[in-house]
Amino acid sequence: MTATTTSRPPRRSGTRGGRTGPRPARRPGVLRRVADRNLPYQVLTFVVFAAGWELYARGQGGLLIPSFTETVEATVEMLGSAELWRAMYVSNQALVIGFAVTVVAGVPLGILLGRFRGLERLADVYLNILLVTPMAAIIPLLVMSVGFGLASRVILVTIFSIVMVVVNARAGVRQVDPSLIEMARSFGADERAVWTRVLLPGALPAIMTGVRLGLGRAVTGMVIVELLMVSDALGGLILEYRGLFQAPLLYGTIVIILAEALLLISMARWAERKLTRWAQTTTARSVR
Amino acid sequence: MIEIRELRKTYVGQDGGLVEALHDVDLDVRPNEFLTVLGPSGCGKTTLLKCVAGLIPWDDGDILIDGTPVRGPGPDRSMVFQNFALLPWATVLDNVAFGLRMRGVGRAEREERARVLIKKVGLAGFETKRPGELSGGMQQRVGLARALAVQPQVLLMDEPFGAVDEQTRRLLQEELLSIWEEHRLTVVFITHSMEEAVLLGDRVVLMSARPGQIAEIVPVPLERPRSSDVGALERSGQYVEITAYLWDRLRDMHEEHRPAKAAG
Amino acid sequence: MSALAQRRGHSARARGRLSWRSLPAAPVSLGAAAAAWELVGQVANASFFPPLTTVLGRLVDMASSGLIFSSLRDSLINLLLGFAISLFGGLAIGVAMGRYRKVEAALGVYVYALLTAPSLVFAPIFFSLLGEGRGSIVAVVVMYSMFVMIINTASAIQGVPAHLPEMARSYGAGEGQVLLRVLLPAAAPMIMAGVRLGVGRAVTGMINGEMFIAVVGLGRVVTQAGGRFDSASVLAVLLVIIAVALGAVALVQAVDRRITRWVPKTARGDR
Repeated sequence: MTATTTSRPPRRSGTRGGRTGPRPARRPGVLRRVADRNLPYQVLTFVVFAAGWELYARGQGGLLIPSFTETVEATVEMLGSAELWRAMYVSNQALVIGFAVTVVAGVPLGILLGRFRGLERLADVYLNILLVTPMAAIIPLLVMSVGFGLASRVILVTIFSIVMVVVNARAGVRQVDPSLIEMARSFGADERAVWTRVLLPGALPAIMTGVRLGLGRAVTGMVIVELLMVSDALGGLILEYRGLFQAPLLYGTIVIILAEALLLISMARWAERKLTRWAQTTTARSVR
Repeated sequence: MIEIRELRKTYVGQDGGLVEALHDVDLDVRPNEFLTVLGPSGCGKTTLLKCVAGLIPWDDGDILIDGTPVRGPGPDRSMVFQNFALLPWATVLDNVAFGLRMRGVGRAEREERARVLIKKVGLAGFETKRPGELSGGMQQRVGLARALAVQPQVLLMDEPFGAVDEQTRRLLQEELLSIWEEHRLTVVFITHSMEEAVLLGDRVVLMSARPGQIAEIVPVPLERPRSSDVGALERSGQYVEITAYLWDRLRDMHEEHRPAKAAG
Repeated sequence: MSALAQRRGHSARARGRLSWRSLPAAPVSLGAAAAAWELVGQVANASFFPPLTTVLGRLVDMASSGLIFSSLRDSLINLLLGFAISLFGGLAIGVAMGRYRKVEAALGVYVYALLTAPSLVFAPIFFSLLGEGRGSIVAVVVMYSMFVMIINTASAIQGVPAHLPEMARSYGAGEGQVLLRVLLPAAAPMIMAGVRLGVGRAVTGMINGEMFIAVVGLGRVVTQAGGRFDSASVLAVLLVIIAVALGAVALVQAVDRRITRWVPKTARGDR
């Protein structure tokens, strides 16, 4: 949010009323209407992409490059196979457990860091390092310490996702308007009431954002660990099909993993919207 | 000087409905006239100004400047914006020279001309400052200098002093008057303040909202030059009378558009 | 649509702020952790957690044998190529999306999807298209870093207050001049926030790509050391990787500071 506002000169309230005439609708609020209006363009992009792929695969195609239609067929076929669902189950086990740990541990940790500056100053360096460092590099260490089993995958999912949750929860607590806390105190609120009535609700939108972004990274972690080291489940399928030169099935697996990731992230986004509707309305109002 | 004939403009509002911003607007601005346009918010006065500036298209009607139809922005007009519209990364000098730069004036010449204008609006010494380091009043002086630097025949001002505090606004009004008395440009000045409209204008165009149209044109027979003693002017009977009359008309317009309140 | 980019901006902002305000605390904190690492490593005596001194010793060995430097060079080439492509493509596509509604309508959803998708799953596809080599790794780097830059650039361009391009047009500026003299400078701070995120993701992409397509670079060293259960080497390379990541981000921040010097100090403190 602030990244945007810094680029603008200070805006005076009430100077951008509706009287400035037609302005291209920059950010329409209602997502659904936009989706409807954009749909033809989106479909067009997809058709161009699919056609390009099909033509390229038919022209250049080799053992490793299936055509679009072959991939679609393979995907449909896989959705009916027990092997896929077993792999899904195994992969998602790590995702669910790892992400649960992230939420249960990450949110309180972030809130603590946001509230207590001293603690935060010490933790900062590590959060910064964790944010920029490619966590995949520690996979070999995980395997050495806890083996190739579920534990390594769970730990990696947690490590991947927890930083986002912590950082956003921390930012959420910190961005709560201090005057709101003063207001609550002026009405006689004690520390507990300040937390439950002001700080936590105020931080909720940012926390939810962290949870959503964290979920994205958790899925990434799940896939990466399987691709790089622990050849198991979905990642294992990819490597297996690649080894067997079964390109359509390989691509189909990738499509299914992508679909799952996008589905989960969309759900998280939907939940975020539902839970933090007030935040959006107040932002929308302040833009006026 | 400026002829506006049966101007119509409709646009799609935020709720998806059609808003008639301008409905058959006819207006003549005389050469070297200071014309102020007053109206409730949403009456289309800014839309009108932007059409004259050539910034937005209109649906029907004509705008002629010295007999030439407006097809887009042109060197004969320049605009002073409500939010100043200064480039925050550029210095005062570069901001004032911006219009000249867009017109392909060489560096040495445009900086020379910019310096003259900076001095005229009282910002000498601030050439290397950036807008973020200036107060609102100073920022709008930069906006004014930028508009004057391109030596336009018509100065279009869109609520230029709406975003500054009351005291600064008074100073800016006095300064604008003395600059205008010296240069005698044609000015179209949008405002929502009755006092400002009367103090500055030769005539006040009163617009009404939904649809935006001209309700009345009120001549202001106050003597010029006015910049020398604004205080005395404001205590004169004529000034008080015209301002009161404008408020009566505006209040009527506001009453008309309050069905919700009337019902409750 | 900008919610994501904005909230991402949040974390970027947090990062930027922390790194400079907390300078004195950082060495203390790092020193304490280094001591703890050494102590735990010595006491635990576990094969997968060697003490810091052992790791540093291994790092010196690897450096003197030249392995680190040749791998580092390969990695940096991958990073540079991939990041350059991402930056160029990110700016071009981002500007087009920010400026033209139809482009945004056509690409927006897909860019978002690719931003949030686990990028490494595309590695096998690049593998089949580009072969087992540098091209695939560079493609993975692009996949990791480009989309965040596209989205930040697009929101940055859309976030430029409408009166600025309007002002430029009123003085007769054409589309090119509006873009060059108004939109890009005005959008620069937020574009740079995206570039900062992009460079971090590029480093991640580089390592992950190299680990998956283990033919060159630091990632290959990690994969090989992991295969030998050589934890000291893994950690030694990890230290190098962290240095590369922090260095790359610091470099972008330095450039950012030069470009966006005009942003008022008060606002900068908030970033």
